Amino acid sequence: MERALSEKPNAEKVSQSGVAGIVLDGHYLPPPVDKDGKQWVRTSALILRPPSELYELWRDVEKAPLWQEQITEVRVTGPKTSHWIMLTGDDSGKSIEWDSEVLNDEPDKGIAWSSVEGDSNNAGEVIFATAPGERGTIVTVLQEFRMSKLASAWETLTGRNPKQVIIENLRHFKALAETGEIPRIEGQPHGPRRTTGKAKKSLYGETIATPTGGQRTAG
Amino acid sequence: MKAVCWMGTSDVQTLTVEDPAILNPHDAILKITRTAICGSDLHLYDGFIPTMESGDILGHEFMGIVEDVGREVTNLQRGDRVVVPFTIACGDCIFCTKKIWSACDNTNPNAHLMEAAYGYSGSGLFGYSHMMGGYAGGQAQYVRVPFANVGPLKIESDLPDEKVLFLSDRVHGRRKRSDSRR
Ligand SMILES: [Zn+2]
Ligand SMILES: [Zn+2]
Repeated sequence: MERALSEKPNAEKVSQSGVAGIVLDGHYLPPPVDKDGKQWVRTSALILRPPSELYELWRDVEKAPLWQEQITEVRVTGPKTSHWIMLTGDDSGKSIEWDSEVLNDEPDKGIAWSSVEGDSNNAGEVIFATAPGERGTIVTVLQEFRMSKLASAWETLTGRNPKQVIIENLRHFKALAETGEIPRIEGQPHGPRRTTGKAKKSLYGETIATPTGGQRTAG
Repeated sequence: MKAVCWMGTSDVQTLTVEDPAILNPHDAILKITRTAICGSDLHLYDGFIPTMESGDILGHEFMGIVEDVGREVTNLQRGDRVVVPFTIACGDCIFCTKKIWSACDNTNPNAHLMEAAYGYSGSGLFGYSHMMGGYAGGQAQYVRVPFANVGPLKIESDLPDEKVLFLSDRVHGRRKRSDSRR
């Protein structure tokens, strides 16, 4: 972990308590941007499962739609390459696509990847480090974006900037790895939402579909 | 079903809404036999808790009979009589393994909202605003109970509802980790 933290000088400092940079409507402040337009995101989570299990879940990219927001399909196209499809709107049904390549693959320790072709310009790394005191694994995600169709689709259509998407996805990953499901409230009963209720729902990000975790049994 | 809905400050109505459904594998559905209004429901009624939406079903103190269970629910079956604690806990995170149920960091789908207000998110709660998870509460004929292996306390004695209902505001029933894994 130390290596990765020191070699990304432009990444934000890891916050000491909770997640820094949030405003009261629950939207995270946008990530810092380099002079050349590159945005950096770093986040981490303590997950009470062994690194090997988490590595396997992350490396199985065809399972990414189970825990990553808006990702509808991932197809493995080679030992190190995959094709990604992401939904860009609630009802438009439009999607963007790109190819991704694994640059570095260290079983049970970490994975680094980069987009190679298509509508997204992103690269990232995930590191699985055994936590002290039998507390499972510290999972650190570092990701960089250049403004692309991917980053702007997140921002304009989901109201979530790339930083928040990465944070929410890691939260989903943790819930799936620890409990076997992702908590959801979509599909539960409620009374009439009225106009303000609907506005709030979208402000809070509740219009973004919660990934299924692959276990959805109804609804 | 009929449910008590928060429709705005000082505006609570009993309305007909959809019945709850199993949405996740660890969910259970209860038919409510008794439910209570808590003093803290007054904060919602008076409009002091942010992130309430009109249409939210209230109620975090309730008990009932298990009507249906998701396929990963191993501790309960149809017909069981249970009291449900208001904190929704996963049973598998570091906090739950230490029995600090209210700090569970896997049960709040709106954790980002609670981080904004409190700096850090706790567990989801029934019927207590969207920053606390936005879960529909139990002042209704039926309720969906997520992570049902963990919270519900089975009542196997013939104590009447009125003698056990108020455990819902305090007690967690969980004794063992779930063995259900992907
Ligand atoms: Zn109470
Ligand atoms: Zn938990």
